[in-house]
Amino acid sequence: MEAWWEGVQKGIYQTFIYKGNYIYFVKGVRITLLVTALALVLGVVLGVLVAVIRSAHDQQPANKKNPVLGILDGICKFYLTVIRGTPMMVQLLIMWFVLWPILFPGSTRGTDGNLIRCAVLAFGINSGAYVAEIVRSGIMSIDKGQMEAGRSLGLNYINTMRFIIVPQAFKNVLPALGNELITLLKETSIVTVIGLKDLTKGAMIVQANTYQALVPFLGIAVIYLAMVMVLSWLLGKMERRLRKSDLR
Amino acid sequence: MIYVKNLSKTFGDNQVLANIDAHIRPGEKVVIIGPSGSGKSTFLRCLNLLEQPTGGTITFDGQEITDPHTDINKVRRHMGMVFQHFNLFANLTVKKNIMLAPVRLKLMSKEEAEAEAMRLLKLVNLEDKADVYPVQLSGGQKQRIAIVRSLAMKPKVMLFDEPTSALDPEMVGEVLELMKKLADDGMTMVVVTHEMGFAREVATRVLFMDSGVIKEENEPGAFFENPKDPRLQDFLSKVL
Repeated sequence: MEAWWEGVQKGIYQTFIYKGNYIYFVKGVRITLLVTALALVLGVVLGVLVAVIRSAHDQQPANKKNPVLGILDGICKFYLTVIRGTPMMVQLLIMWFVLWPILFPGSTRGTDGNLIRCAVLAFGINSGAYVAEIVRSGIMSIDKGQMEAGRSLGLNYINTMRFIIVPQAFKNVLPALGNELITLLKETSIVTVIGLKDLTKGAMIVQANTYQALVPFLGIAVIYLAMVMVLSWLLGKMERRLRKSDLR
Repeated sequence: MIYVKNLSKTFGDNQVLANIDAHIRPGEKVVIIGPSGSGKSTFLRCLNLLEQPTGGTITFDGQEITDPHTDINKVRRHMGMVFQHFNLFANLTVKKNIMLAPVRLKLMSKEEAEAEAMRLLKLVNLEDKADVYPVQLSGGQKQRIAIVRSLAMKPKVMLFDEPTSALDPEMVGEVLELMKKLADDGMTMVVVTHEMGFAREVATRVLFMDSGVIKEENEPGAFFENPKDPRLQDFLSKVL
């Protein structure tokens, strides 16, 4: 028992203090949070856009479908199928090693900045597909009288969506969106495969330098857990605030 | 003001409206009655194209609104609509419900719209509800606010789709009261309702619809005292 405890103490010392190793965790948390936050923004923007296009297409009367909307809907369906049908890690590898050199031939060096931009794009595009279906379910849950009332006042489809339908849909799907956000935060750990030094990569580096496994990996598990708990708490607060209009 | 020519509407194989002709003149209060499934709500919803007709034309203020090149959003500004289930915007307070369309369509500044909203709320004695959300209101209050929300757009005609059918009996009165006040102020109204008393008292003309056609129309006195169509006689004997 005594020997074990001494081992743990040594592990803690080597993991966090020895040669200033704690910096790997601090920087790692920062990168993990940064990628998550930016990918979330991109994912929500993409998701809402796709959800509105898909709903707009589905809500048209059967006898007069808009051809432009039909094409956009086709693109959205293709996007959803491909993104939801392939593993996130594969998408990330394709983004960094295949698409990135084509899209941005001037910035293929593995600097933190380039890797972060690439990761945000890959995770944002991935998250957008899931957010799209979540938001679409929210839009479909709103009584169609709300749309009719907006339209009957002379508001166009986009404005009615923007001011009436989407805000209500958002409130209804907030728990599901929170779920997506938590998944996203944890999934960013696979950016290690392109070499971005996030929290997980930090622990792997420390393990490689010190031969300590228990403390670094349990350590980041605790850090991830703490971040998720803080997020859940924030989401709960936001949900209660948005529920204001439901209180009798 | 509204000319309806040869209007038809089918849902799949089901013909809901069959070649309807009608003309609504300025200042008229037209009440449409009929059994459920007769197409009266569909007819009303065709007038502002919430339902897309499958045949025929509708002309409003000299503009053919069934023409696909017509900007229907512009036309709808002048046609208020009141729904059976109120359809107040659940995410906005009462005041913002009224202000949204005039402000977003740039017909009023925010300040003007707010002043107008308060004036309208005072009109229906609900100024103390300006900052509450619709869920906190009774059915009658919701419907009165839905009516003034339409009025904020200063419409030329108001369409009512069974405005009292979803209300508790004791709240029907306050909504009909407001509608009577509107009628007295000269608003052109088309009302689908089961309130025969309202039809008799306020209507300038009553239409009876059955299985997608207008079976009979007349001024209310003759309509109720001396119905000619056998289906209407049968209908009136059951509801009066």
